Amino acid sequence: MKYNYAKIELLGEDIYLLPQKALYRPHFKQLVISDLHLGKTTYFRKQGIAMPVESHVKDIDKLHFLFDTWKPLSVLILGDLFHSDYNKEWLWFRSLLLHYPQIQFILIEGNHDILNEENYKIANLLKAEYLVEDTFIFSHHPLDQKNKINFCGHVHPGIKLFGKARQSIKLPCFYFNGTQFILPAFGELTGLYLLDRKEDSDYYLVLADKVVKL
Amino acid sequence: MGIAAKWFKQKKWKPFAFQKATWQAIDENKSGLLNSPTGSGKTYALWFGILGAYYKKYPQKKKPKENGLHCLWITPLRALSKEILLATQQVSKDLDLNYKIALRTGDTTTAERARQRKKSPHALITTPESIQLILASKEYDKFFAGLEFIVVDEWHELMGSKRGVQVELALSRLKAINPALKIWGISATIGNMEEAKEILLGDKNEDAVTIKTDLEKEIIIETIYPDVVEKYSWVGHLGIKLLPKIIPIIEASNTTLVFVNVRSQAEIWYQKLLEAAPHLAGQMALHHCSLSDDIRKWVEDNLHNGSLKAVICTSSLDLGVDFHSVDSVIQIGSPKGIARFMQRAGRSGHHPGALSKIWFVPTNSLEIIEGSAIRYAIENNLLENRVPYVRSFDVLIQYMVTLAVSDGFTADKLFEEVKGTHCFKSISREEFNWCIDFIVTGGNSLKVYDEYHKVVFADGIYKVTNRTIAMRHRLSIGTIVSDSMMHVKFMGGKKIGMVEENFISKLKPGDVFWFGGRNLELVLVKDMEARVKASKKNTGIVPAWLGGRLPLSYQLSNSIRKQLDDYKRNKIDNEELKQLAPLLKLQNKVSYLPGKNELLIEQFKTREGYHLFVYAFEGRFVHEGMAAILAYRIGLLEPFTFSIAMNDYGFELLSDKKVDIDLVLDNNLLSPDFIYDDVLKSMNSIELANRKFRDIATIAGLIFTGYPGHQKKTRHIQASSQLFFKVFEDYEKDNLLLRQAYDEILDFQLEITRMQNAFDRISKQKIIVTYPEKPTPFSFPILVDTLREKFSNEEIQSRIEKILNSVQKT
Repeated sequence: MKYNYAKIELLGEDIYLLPQKALYRPHFKQLVISDLHLGKTTYFRKQGIAMPVESHVKDIDKLHFLFDTWKPLSVLILGDLFHSDYNKEWLWFRSLLLHYPQIQFILIEGNHDILNEENYKIANLLKAEYLVEDTFIFSHHPLDQKNKINFCGHVHPGIKLFGKARQSIKLPCFYFNGTQFILPAFGELTGLYLLDRKEDSDYYLVLADKVVKL
Repeated sequence: MGIAAKWFKQKKWKPFAFQKATWQAIDENKSGLLNSPTGSGKTYALWFGILGAYYKKYPQKKKPKENGLHCLWITPLRALSKEILLATQQVSKDLDLNYKIALRTGDTTTAERARQRKKSPHALITTPESIQLILASKEYDKFFAGLEFIVVDEWHELMGSKRGVQVELALSRLKAINPALKIWGISATIGNMEEAKEILLGDKNEDAVTIKTDLEKEIIIETIYPDVVEKYSWVGHLGIKLLPKIIPIIEASNTTLVFVNVRSQAEIWYQKLLEAAPHLAGQMALHHCSLSDDIRKWVEDNLHNGSLKAVICTSSLDLGVDFHSVDSVIQIGSPKGIARFMQRAGRSGHHPGALSKIWFVPTNSLEIIEGSAIRYAIENNLLENRVPYVRSFDVLIQYMVTLAVSDGFTADKLFEEVKGTHCFKSISREEFNWCIDFIVTGGNSLKVYDEYHKVVFADGIYKVTNRTIAMRHRLSIGTIVSDSMMHVKFMGGKKIGMVEENFISKLKPGDVFWFGGRNLELVLVKDMEARVKASKKNTGIVPAWLGGRLPLSYQLSNSIRKQLDDYKRNKIDNEELKQLAPLLKLQNKVSYLPGKNELLIEQFKTREGYHLFVYAFEGRFVHEGMAAILAYRIGLLEPFTFSIAMNDYGFELLSDKKVDIDLVLDNNLLSPDFIYDDVLKSMNSIELANRKFRDIATIAGLIFTGYPGHQKKTRHIQASSQLFFKVFEDYEKDNLLLRQAYDEILDFQLEITRMQNAFDRISKQKIIVTYPEKPTPFSFPILVDTLREKFSNEEIQSRIEKILNSVQKT
């Protein structure tokens, strides 16, 4: 399962697109994920909407799997880590971080990340608005700039494919248009924003156990 | 002199026997069902009974009396409630009565509602949703304390929907508050009248009466024929070729209603009629349920005052108030059901004793047979049943929260009340407890610390204590569930109507589409609104709407089989069969014409592959299921991939290799055994249930569509029904709402009972197999149908990869 990723090269750097809807930079041993929307289950339940208690289990399992498999030095989260107001699911996230003290976590703020500053004070967690490198710039919202490649989230990109006999299927995808590289939403409890297919863009579809270029 | 006698004398009218009988029954404190078509004076039959009972109790004095609410009149339509309000208010005015009547619908203002609570009218005319809203307000039991009558208008219509379940539940509560309550239903004729009465009246049925109007309205059906049947199209659903023949009918009539089956057809007919008869411009209108309230109201008002020559409409005008100017009705294409056809026919010739004349326009040559089939069915009173919803846990959950929002409920008492309804007659205490658990703990079986908050249990009472949750619940009662719809508005803001989001999303700004009888250019899409401007271009796309593909009813299918059998036995006593003779002869010559005890199977080869046709004449839903079952069973013998197509008369399995029919027959693949299991295995039942789940999740309060005008505020609590479906499938397999989705698929989408009956019938029929050289009159319409389903035993993953492969090749 570990090796079912799609390998691409961007400005000289190898990048692995993982079927867990994450991205891995082997050179830096860095994992990049976006739009986790943790806390959604509990938030819904507090509002009287009966989403099953166990709904977020898959996300937890996926994170453990990625951390244990790739053993990253750092994890970059491109925003929308937490779905809404504070609830007990944050405690779980906190303990996950403390469970991996060797990993440096960096959160790029998203529009959903509205917790009190107090909550983000965790030893191995840093918070920032952007992260700028020589060739790349990391943000939550897609940025309007042409100088660097912009890794971002927010959109929850997806593609709808049509097959013979009126069959169709929607799949999450990584999207790259030359300057913007948009990650699929990591959280299982998220929806898709369907993109129109354009000739000059690349789409990497996330299947159950592999990533395929369209 | 009684009130009724006085009023009828004043109007110089004579009451009908059924009206007198109703007054008598009400005077004897009975509940009952009034079986009556629209426009027959049914309102007065009940109204004077109710007034009579009231003034017997409180003889009229000069000073207006306030005795609280006396009568609740429930209708399915707002337009209808308005009509009843006017008619009953007029009676109070004519006779100078102090009996006050008011309206309570979704349009009633908050101020007006507060006034009604403080000083209740004697009668309230309302909708099922509004009653639920009253039950969601504090001390509703006081408001209903003096209630003596409930009238449920158009019960046949409500019964076949979840709104009927809402009515059943409300009645169970009101009967508990007021054991002496008298319940009256009004229903058009349906196949299961007795059942309808039983469901509505419940324990009051024993001593209740059924009153039938003595006004049998005669319906005359005239089929419009193409000049040469042999040259008329074998396929098609539009019928435009016969358009020149209906213009003289419109011209010769005061007002004509032209009924079509789907909205896109209405749009096209409207355009084509205008092109063919430009002199009708300005006197012709379009009416379907995607158009805005304003536009529809304008059309209805103009129908009332007789200033329109013709209205092209869909089922949106099936129900509702009478338009006296209408004297002709035209049905384009198969009416699909007998009751629906009669209802449409009844929209003309309203004054008692008048004939209802309806023209039937077949849209392809074989469809001509439906003209005589319908006539036969009406003559023999073969009417469809309305299938009531049972075990609708979504509605029960909504109702429980409703009661918890107002004064709370206790479990034992509510269980008894709910179990008394038809819908929940079979509910077990475990299932009931599951529903309570769902709203109290959110279905948290683990009982771990949890922040779930909706309904709270304290001092033996279940209540909602959080105001936000209460408010959100009130707003969600009566949410109309449909596909995601988008408003279509002019740039200036004037509303035109609603179109499926799916359709708009395929358009680009600048594209032109036909809607509401106009050519519109899409300018921009913003906040669930499509802004448009009028376009001068002549070509446009017509939005294709879902939901128009109703199946042929069981009764109508039966009549069609009977017509074919008559023809075969040379019993040709109607014009339709005479006209069809050349086509049926051809069918018999190139293949075979099956009689009552025969099932025809045709097999032939074309460039596309091997075709296998089975003509069961059972309607498209049943055919879809039958085709899937047969495909599944053939696939058990040998791997096969089929493409499936069907219409109301038969279905087709298309494959790249030949199906050995002897193998099918020898292995008894059309056997009526294990239908239930096989259909679940063969159809993509998960996908179907997922689609059904949207309604259920919305009604049960899982999906909140937002506060009017403030969509943004609730963004954090919005999730799609698919997401809920997925997490329930993963973590709560025993969730009753999930199970309900599968049950609804079997009952309503696949018509499982009817399918079982069809298989039973087939097992007794003689099977005739023919191998025609080319497509036959029966097979051709199915052959060219482009809407195809696919059957295959492949896993979802490999299906995805197949799709991917085919996409990548192009």
